[in-house]
Amino acid sequence: MLFEVNGFSKRFGSIAALTDVSFHVRAGEVLGLIGPNGAGKSTLFECLAGVLPSDGGALRANGRPVETRERSSLLFYVPDAIAPWPAQSVRWALDFTIGFLRGPAPLGKEVPLREELIDQLDLRQLLGQPIGTLSKGQRKRVLLAIGLLTPQPALLIDEPFEGLDLRQARDIASTLRAHAARGRTLFLSIHQISDAARFCDRFVLLSSGRVCGEGTVSELAALAAAHHGSPPHQDLEEVFLALT
Amino acid sequence: MRHRSPFLWLLDKEWRELLVSRAWWVLLFAMGPLVGVSFISAVRTYAEVSGLNGTSAGVGEALSPLTGVWAPTFSACELAAVFLLPFVAIRLVAGDRQSGALKLELQQGMSPFARITAKTLVLLAGWLAAMLPPLSAILLWKSYGGSVYPPELLTLTFGHVLNAGLTIGLAAAMSSFTEHPSTAAILTLGVTVGTWIVNFFGAIQGGWWERAAGYTPAAMVAEFQHGLLRLDTVLVALVLTLAGLGLAAIWMRLGIAVNRRACESIGVCILAAGGIFACTFLTPGGSLLRTSWDTSESRSNSFPEADEAALRQIHAPLRIEAHLAPEDPRRLDLEHHALSKLRRIMPKLEVQYVSGTSIGLFEQTRAGYGEIWYDLAGRRTMSRVTTAEGVLESIYSLAGVAPPPENDEAVFRGHPLAEPPTGAGAIFYALWPGLVVASGILVSQRFK
Repeated sequence: MLFEVNGFSKRFGSIAALTDVSFHVRAGEVLGLIGPNGAGKSTLFECLAGVLPSDGGALRANGRPVETRERSSLLFYVPDAIAPWPAQSVRWALDFTIGFLRGPAPLGKEVPLREELIDQLDLRQLLGQPIGTLSKGQRKRVLLAIGLLTPQPALLIDEPFEGLDLRQARDIASTLRAHAARGRTLFLSIHQISDAARFCDRFVLLSSGRVCGEGTVSELAALAAAHHGSPPHQDLEEVFLALT
Repeated sequence: MRHRSPFLWLLDKEWRELLVSRAWWVLLFAMGPLVGVSFISAVRTYAEVSGLNGTSAGVGEALSPLTGVWAPTFSACELAAVFLLPFVAIRLVAGDRQSGALKLELQQGMSPFARITAKTLVLLAGWLAAMLPPLSAILLWKSYGGSVYPPELLTLTFGHVLNAGLTIGLAAAMSSFTEHPSTAAILTLGVTVGTWIVNFFGAIQGGWWERAAGYTPAAMVAEFQHGLLRLDTVLVALVLTLAGLGLAAIWMRLGIAVNRRACESIGVCILAAGGIFACTFLTPGGSLLRTSWDTSESRSNSFPEADEAALRQIHAPLRIEAHLAPEDPRRLDLEHHALSKLRRIMPKLEVQYVSGTSIGLFEQTRAGYGEIWYDLAGRRTMSRVTTAEGVLESIYSLAGVAPPPENDEAVFRGHPLAEPPTGAGAIFYALWPGLVVASGILVSQRFK
């Protein structure tokens, strides 16, 4: 197990965005955080990454709690719908990621990795363009490249397929798979359950800020069946509906 | 790709963000005309007073380039620091939050204090670039044959850099506090207007208000404009700047609970208040914090050297009680021409103003109004004279010290210069704005 999330909660005034959220993340897996819009997926990621304070809960790795300031050694979070450094070029953003975001360690394989990602995410044509001028899908590919260039063992990506067409979504899925195969743990927030079903190894189901289930499709199906006393269903959408 | 430390990467990023900031280019552009108007007008007046176009020559002896030319020329910096620089600082600090870059950068783990330091260094570099027009005016003045006294110019430049530091600290704090840059801009200007109100109350009410008004940016700049470098003023400005930057760093940490950030902010405010209190009130006789330097060539903040030597022989505490209202012009005379100079040379001086009203108009008939009482080691005397000479005479008679003989050679004669501001219009109204526009276009093309 890479890390464990215990009892995370977050309120915005009278609204409970997260309530006692607990689950665990295994090393090297592709874990999907699925739930409808407003379920609290982005809030959970921001709390885990330490860019939003949680009201309670702990993140534990190797049996000990990981404080907010220490999380940068464990995970990196790529938010959705942001346009960082809008006036700077894509090439500069990738270099900045290697130079700044990865920390003070001397350069290793980052430069070949950058070139590989430029090809995998089809960014070569965009290298000279300012990030602020990119389309939603292009920006999403740049953000994925930034995330994949960071050195943390776990990468949290908010809506990795949002804004992408079918072909791009497939290409990016295979790119992410390739990086997962190299040992990187991916934790992806996806509101399209069909996308998640195709891509993830395991799932955390989130609804109204609460975890409704955690496991593989089979495990979740068994859970749904146990709840409703009906035969297990192997379709994730049906399982999700049954559990939420 | 070269290996650099993360801090250097951050500096590079902040510099690039400054280069693409329209607010900074507007600041650079506006500095040319702003300095031009002030410089041309000041040089013309200086020339006329010095005898240009048939005006009576000789009055120029009373003028020094510091008060006649540089104070008004550099006042463009004061204007820019109030109305333009805050927007540049807000753009640089709030931009990360607006674009979402802050969420990425915070995950690097670098201390927020290092992050705000990088922004401050870049903003100060940007401000120094904006100060090129007033600095180039010095070369122009030299080309006219004008006299330049580097210590007073260095003090003036330092004062405006310090003032810019205050603005940057304030704007950075407001940018971090608030969600939106426009709110930060309103709050920053609100605080600036607040300092003007303190100045206003200081002028009317006197007392604590007057003391507080002495540390507002406007009052601070006014001291530097007279070539006066006071250690306590510099320290108060640095404390306020650091407090603003500290608050900015605290509120930049989005992942820390608001309650904790609020507690830390209160801690910073208490520390800053303690620092300011130490600088302003805990200044016993002879304290290092009371140290000041009169860097003006005309010694406009000092008595003649012979008088200063005589005053240094008086070791007993001197108490002055002036029955003059805050808005009475005689009080301004007394304060500016005598007491401010006396404070620099006699650390054990205690001054108390007594008045029942702010303007003093209706107190004129009151017995005792207008009296200035001097108390030195139990001996008392009264005078109504508010000139430097009158004040010194009273002190010498109380102390039993012989007044030093007048030395005409030590009197500052000024540097009259009857030259029109030739070429200044072309430089500040055409060349500088043209250079800024051309550079802006080149930079924007590079970033396209």
